[in-house]
Amino acid sequence: MTSSWFQDPTLLAAALAALLPFVTFALIMIFTRPYPKLSAAISIAAVSVSLVCAIFLLSSHWHLEKPIQYAAKWIISGDIYIPFGFLLDQLSLVMLTIVAVISFLVQVYSLGYMAGDPGFARYYAFQSLFAWAMMTMSIAPTMLQFYVFWELVGLASYLLIGFYYEKFSASEAGKKAFVMTRFGDIAFFLGLLLVLFNFGNLNILDMNSVDVTARMSPALITLSAILIFGGVAGKSAQFPLLTWLPDAMEGPTPVSALLHSATMVAAGVYMFARIFPFFSHSAAAMNTFLAIGTITMLLASTMAMVTRDIKQVWAYSTVSQLGFMVMGLAAGSYFAGIFHLTTHAGFKALLFLCSGVFIHEFETNDFFEMGKYGGRGLKVPMVCMTVAAAALSGLPPLSGFFSKEAIMGGLAGLHNPVWLWAGLLGAFLTAYYSFRLIFSILFPRKIEKTHQGEHGGHGHGHDGGHHHVGIYWVMAWPLIILASITLVLGFFHTPLENFLVGHHGGAEAHGGHHAWLLYVAVGLALSGVGLAWLEFGRKGASQVGFVEKIEPMSRLFANRWYIDHFYRRFLDYFIYGIVSNLFTRNDRRVIDGGIDGICRATVGSGWALSFLQSGMLQYNLMVMFAVLALVALYFFF
Amino acid sequence: MNSLTTYLFIAALLFSLGIFGVFQRRSLIGMLIAIELMLNAASINFMAFNRFLAPDPIVGQIYTLFIMGIAAAEAAIALSIIVALFRRLRSINIERAQELRG
Repeated sequence: MTSSWFQDPTLLAAALAALLPFVTFALIMIFTRPYPKLSAAISIAAVSVSLVCAIFLLSSHWHLEKPIQYAAKWIISGDIYIPFGFLLDQLSLVMLTIVAVISFLVQVYSLGYMAGDPGFARYYAFQSLFAWAMMTMSIAPTMLQFYVFWELVGLASYLLIGFYYEKFSASEAGKKAFVMTRFGDIAFFLGLLLVLFNFGNLNILDMNSVDVTARMSPALITLSAILIFGGVAGKSAQFPLLTWLPDAMEGPTPVSALLHSATMVAAGVYMFARIFPFFSHSAAAMNTFLAIGTITMLLASTMAMVTRDIKQVWAYSTVSQLGFMVMGLAAGSYFAGIFHLTTHAGFKALLFLCSGVFIHEFETNDFFEMGKYGGRGLKVPMVCMTVAAAALSGLPPLSGFFSKEAIMGGLAGLHNPVWLWAGLLGAFLTAYYSFRLIFSILFPRKIEKTHQGEHGGHGHGHDGGHHHVGIYWVMAWPLIILASITLVLGFFHTPLENFLVGHHGGAEAHGGHHAWLLYVAVGLALSGVGLAWLEFGRKGASQVGFVEKIEPMSRLFANRWYIDHFYRRFLDYFIYGIVSNLFTRNDRRVIDGGIDGICRATVGSGWALSFLQSGMLQYNLMVMFAVLALVALYFFF
Repeated sequence: MNSLTTYLFIAALLFSLGIFGVFQRRSLIGMLIAIELMLNAASINFMAFNRFLAPDPIVGQIYTLFIMGIAAAEAAIALSIIVALFRRLRSINIERAQELRG
């Protein structure tokens, strides 16, 4: 048994990739917390081994025929047998690689960004925990194992979002993220239980086979699919659980990059893709998901159009891109959704890491301020961010263009044209709000030179200019790598598609209507950029968006469509007002009252009985004698 | 007249007197004396059974000797308790020792 471990390189690589970050987490938390440099080194070493393993796995299984599964017994209860192990197929290999790449780059970048932070070692421990949870989740063979690591991802993100826990808003945001995703996860778990009881198995491969339709009625499949989708909605911040994501910006910026590109939020979409065949058994459920994806995508785009916080813009754009992915998957184009997930992971991580450089440099989150203080002076991040924003808007020849086209192609294949129009509108809005930000930084109305000069003096390097430059380049290299990934990834469209869906799948994505759609989509994206140029870019532009001119609309968008207000009201009136009030009363009256009653009864009866205790020795003796006499009588007669 | 019943009757009478004395007397010394009476009643019983029933004439007498020894020890302990109580209460009246009244 032990020898086979080392003889099979695939298993060894998978185990290494998945387990090393956990070992690191334990090591840092137990031993090396007082040594930040050592902790970071261990963590980065572990994640780079994971990265190497992931790339090895991907390249050695490029021509994978059928999924490889390793499983050991975990839980056996009656007829239910749940294994624990690894499932390596096309999807999980791609996901594993994405997670490893992004985690690696983010950890390297954090060397610069988090330098000097008192919680440096803790930060790396949590990063490792996150990487471990996410990687093991990607290669989980059963939905139960998937669920366990899904929750661990939630935990790790809670820890990282609330990393600056001394700050009230940060700890609140962490809590909000945790509780809100938990709502979805309850539904997810109920859905899993439904499947478990009716199908008797949570093996992903079995759930994806056609057996499901034979064992479960269509209504039951729809119900469980919608419940499981609740988990996706929570994790991937889909409507109506989308408001935690913008608040999650309270964490350090590299955390946002990690959270928004490859891990936390991508987990939801990944789960959708993971049991995609199961979902696609139910047309009704798929239509619901399509609607949810569309609503999310449009809502988030509108919110992104009014905010002034650079991280918020990218947060909303993440929500809306996730909406796109869900739309693509729900429209039935499996590959388009995953491809967009892949490309999005690259350019979204890039966007956040670039914003991190700006925030680090100017110590503000407001991108108008950044422009004012000479944000365009930072050449590398500026160029990288423009590239990423162009990819986000779906401009050719960047990666986002290819994946968005694939999704549009999938949407165009539907009978109802509404979805396609919504998607195109979303593409237009995306281009508008991303370039609103870019132009605001690139072409500010006036540049305040003073700050720039003073800034060089009080910069972040406490030990002078050299240190500062070093940090800048530690942060810049991941950006350059990600930017080049963003530039070239689009051209791997066909090989990736062949890998993921097989050779036969190529035809369906390239429908006949693809040609005009291509021009329309690019045209809309360009007009979005153009509108942004008119309002923010050109000389003498007002720098006031068309939305901001219409007061009620901008207020609606800025208040996030009052979704949070609705939740607040709901919490105040329903949860606190009715439910917890009832529970409080139950606590006070029934439970407290019951305990108090027992106590009072004990004291009272003791008080009553104490009259018998006269303190006279002879009465006691008499009673004793009487009892003995009675006992004697009882025994002898 | 000279039979087992007579002795048992006398012992029972003595024991009842002892019980009555323990219940009735309020002075601790009186109670101690009453207890001695009860012990003596038990001794008489032993001697009577020994005389009329036992094959081995020695056992009952040894028992009685033991009882006398124990009675002496008991009297010593009881008297010391009484002295201690007297020191505390300045009295040996049992009605004064009622601190445990409920």
